[in-house]
Amino acid sequence: MKGLVLNKENVRLQVEANTWEEAIRYGAGMLVEQGTATQEYVDGIINAINKLGPYIVVADGLAIPHTRPEEGAKAIGCSLITLKEPVIFEGNDPVSVMICFSAVDSESHMDILKMIVEIVDQGIVEKIARMKDVDKLLKFLEEI
Amino acid sequence: MLNILAVCGAGLGSSFACQMSVDAVLKELGVKAKLDHTDISSVSGTKADIVISGANFKKQFERYELSCPTIFLDRLVDKKEIKEKLTPVLKELGEL
Repeated sequence: MKGLVLNKENVRLQVEANTWEEAIRYGAGMLVEQGTATQEYVDGIINAINKLGPYIVVADGLAIPHTRPEEGAKAIGCSLITLKEPVIFEGNDPVSVMICFSAVDSESHMDILKMIVEIVDQGIVEKIARMKDVDKLLKFLEEI
Repeated sequence: MLNILAVCGAGLGSSFACQMSVDAVLKELGVKAKLDHTDISSVSGTKADIVISGANFKKQFERYELSCPTIFLDRLVDKKEIKEKLTPVLKELGEL
């Protein structure tokens, strides 16, 4: 994968979370740490899911938590977490990989979405979920 | 040209990723179309020929009473599901 948007700072593996909300607070909280979103953005994601349903579960095992830029996005950013135990969204299958992102408009974060589509296309969600070493994961993603 | 609109909650993530997958499926099927993505609150009054969205939005769509065919996906990025559900609609519209 060219121009990989992930690195050692925005990937964390085998995170422990009991609920989907906890998992999102962790993954989207990394966007706050990186300075690409505010805490309101994290709350905004959770409110949107409570209101609209889990539209962020886009493939088996994979969720892409995000919300509208005006909810507190400051720049384009993303994080990837894998969960030690999968979390369950209402009416959906278990999720074990989460790619949170912040976007400033409806187009310019295309690289992040391309990566997401590529991961689904290659059928590697489960493989990513099982990985325990960030360097190996990054190398693996670079090579696909 | 055929207009296809992908719809999700925020209108920039799931729907955009869905649009990319739809684009790939259309290329495979050899159908040309203009694609776009938006959020659920902007969809009423759309002039699209086909609307594609997540199954969790079904109830909201019922309120809009859209005149075009609407496809609901369980997995917005799943090309297999997209192809399966989009093909009959394209045939109905005479695009295939």
